[in-house]
Amino acid sequence: METSDYKKAAWLALAIVLLFVAGWEIYWRNQGFALSFNDDESLWSHTRKKIYDIAPGQPVIIGSSRVKFDIDQETWEKETGYQPVQLALVGTSPRPILRDLANDPKFKGTVLVGITEGLFFSADGSFMEERAGKRLAFYPRWSLSQQASFHLNHILESNFIFLDEERFSLNSLLKRLPIESRPGVFVFPNFPMHMGYTTANRQEVFSDTFMADTAVQHGVQYVWSYLGMLGTKPGFSGDTLTNIISSVKESVDKIRARGGSVTFLRMPSSDPAWSAEKQSYPRELFWDRLLRETGAPGIHFTDYPELSKYVCPDWSHLSPADTKPFTKDLIRIIEEKNRVTLHKTSATPKIQ
Amino acid sequence: MVFNSYTFILFFILLLVLHNLPFSWKTKKINLLLASYLFYALWNPPFILLLWLSTVVDYYMARLISVTEDKMRRRMWLAVSLVLNLGMLSYFKYGGFLLENFTALMASMGIAFQAVKPDIILPVGISFYTFVTLSYTIDVYRRKFAPEPSFLNFALFVTYFPHLVAGPIVRPEDLIPQFKEPRKATSYQMLWGLFLLSLGLFMKVVIADGWMAEPADFIFGLPFPVNPLDAWSAVLAFSAQIFCDFAGYSTCAIGVSLCLGFTLPENFRFPYAAIGFSDFWRRWHITLSTWLRDYLYIPLGGNRSGSFRTYINLMITMLLGGLWHGASWNFVIWGGLHGLFLCIERLIRGIPKKQKNTSLAEDLVIQATLIPIRSKNLSGFLLALFTLFLVNITWVFFRSPDFGSAMRMLLCMFGVITEGPKMLATPDMIKVAIVTVALFSTHWYMRDKSVKAVFSRFPWWLLGTIWSIMLILIILTQKSTSSFIYFQF
Repeated sequence: METSDYKKAAWLALAIVLLFVAGWEIYWRNQGFALSFNDDESLWSHTRKKIYDIAPGQPVIIGSSRVKFDIDQETWEKETGYQPVQLALVGTSPRPILRDLANDPKFKGTVLVGITEGLFFSADGSFMEERAGKRLAFYPRWSLSQQASFHLNHILESNFIFLDEERFSLNSLLKRLPIESRPGVFVFPNFPMHMGYTTANRQEVFSDTFMADTAVQHGVQYVWSYLGMLGTKPGFSGDTLTNIISSVKESVDKIRARGGSVTFLRMPSSDPAWSAEKQSYPRELFWDRLLRETGAPGIHFTDYPELSKYVCPDWSHLSPADTKPFTKDLIRIIEEKNRVTLHKTSATPKIQ
Repeated sequence: MVFNSYTFILFFILLLVLHNLPFSWKTKKINLLLASYLFYALWNPPFILLLWLSTVVDYYMARLISVTEDKMRRRMWLAVSLVLNLGMLSYFKYGGFLLENFTALMASMGIAFQAVKPDIILPVGISFYTFVTLSYTIDVYRRKFAPEPSFLNFALFVTYFPHLVAGPIVRPEDLIPQFKEPRKATSYQMLWGLFLLSLGLFMKVVIADGWMAEPADFIFGLPFPVNPLDAWSAVLAFSAQIFCDFAGYSTCAIGVSLCLGFTLPENFRFPYAAIGFSDFWRRWHITLSTWLRDYLYIPLGGNRSGSFRTYINLMITMLLGGLWHGASWNFVIWGGLHGLFLCIERLIRGIPKKQKNTSLAEDLVIQATLIPIRSKNLSGFLLALFTLFLVNITWVFFRSPDFGSAMRMLLCMFGVITEGPKMLATPDMIKVAIVTVALFSTHWYMRDKSVKAVFSRFPWWLLGTIWSIMLILIILTQKSTSSFIYFQF
């Protein structure tokens, strides 16, 4: 082959790639999808870096998907003047992250811990803990090169829908092929592609299509059922539970000793998920005991009519419209309960 | 910085522009050197000091060796270089391992010794650049060539970013002569270099990270036995993953270097079509195997001191080769198995061959196979399959986190433990099967060919289409920043 033939081949390859990328992007936009950011190790590490530069009233949120969906960061910022630092991780236990914050001598801030009992009260070394642990292990190894790539990637992700790895990557699309798996193999179910999206500040939001289409909502409910959310198997008790709570108390004490604070949050869930959770994790055995033994304040949605008036369309998370008034009420309740102000304008005393 | 990152794309574009501006050759080399330091420093900036130390000490030791006639002094200067390079490697790579084993030894003798676990970070690529600089001082000591007078050329030889962190392990004669005269890639080199970069990224991003990493990591990470089919799938997935990861890196490095006008040595030659283990090591990580041959096996005596000594030398070389990959007994076992297979092969080759006719069974296999093989190649084909089978057995030790896990995996693979659950989903198993068959078929077809020769016979539109498919799959896979497996070595 002559050099000119290689040039022709290169131009042809470039033309095909550009045409494909343009067509691929247009296709997904026409399917009604919105921009979504990859909630990967780099985005988490980028957010984690912010904890050293926060105001006293500016909270760090940890937990699982419920606090990521239900606390609307835009509303929070509008109300208080501060945007919270969202460090919650979908489908994980926040205990390793709480421990990490407690062991970081430079952190002296306010932590809001979302409690989803099935995840929070999981045993040491469980899958839920491991997933959170991976992010923690990545953070100190986040190299300058990866940080630069993250910022470049961020520009691209802000413009191209197809760069959403969770939905449109080759692997994700292959996983959605209707291939029956071998009997006896647990296969993690696929969430409907139209379920929602992630914003640059790690906020999870249900999509308009999800809110308008009950079939998509049922798709998400099916996933929760498949994953056992409706199961009524009792949670841990005995030494395991005692150890979990004492490890949390240790973390809470460390943060408080440095002048920081911890508040537990039980976000809403709806029937039938709420019924199952009540049976598996009776309040007095888990929530009440957690607050009593750690000495930290907590806000349970059932204690406040303004927080418990909502229906979660997927049984587990609030709709985008509901997160706004919910967040406003939550801020007010935290302030009242802890006798603090979370607003920018005031000199903010620490949460007790 | 990794090749599969946006940072690298930006870095590479800027470097290409700089390299093609009308600067003097010296300025261009300084640009390349500074860019190489930047490439390295973006991982962990302090470790650049180690690179400088190694560069400066070896440059001056080689000069001292060359100007001294006194044997003792020459040996002393060589020893300084060896102690520094191997000392750094030992401390950073094997410090924790040695301490752990020392503690275990003390405990076995009933002596209670508890050392504080050292918190040592392994500098990226230390095993590679240590071997690069060592080969230089040893060759100057052997009077193979005179030391390089230009510090700039020497520093660039050590630090040149395409080979710096994961090879190919270059020799002074590979690269230093290329720095002496002004070089700029021709149009052909530039295009072929970009094609190789795309091919390497396709192997790394799509096959290694996108398809094979997940099933391999998942099964090897389980603390319990699995179904035999799952165990085999995981091993085959890792086999494909490590080849595509490492050969992908080398292909990227060669391509990137070619775009700048420099040629790097070949590092892989379709190893999964190797017939026997000596053939495997002529095709897998070629620059490491030749390094071990020239600087370890031959100095130990090679095959010049009788059969028994040859086997001992082979075993020492492969055991140390295994340990080079990582501070763990599993790597030693991996190297030991390769050494054992090499010894057995050598023993068999020593037995006089008998004349053999093609059997009816062989003819049936020829008709049944999907891969076009000729009768005379059948025994080779079957031997290649058998070699691959044994190579996969050795990968179990290479990939498993500890000896117990490796043994458990082997017991599952050979059906000794059958009650393990099925873990992998059907799509994952299909991916592993497709990649394994495709990889072996490609290696067998390409066994005696080169990528360049095969693609140069293609019409331009076919090459362009294949190129675009690779790029599209890279874009679609979106695994953009994961590290290469060999960085940890």
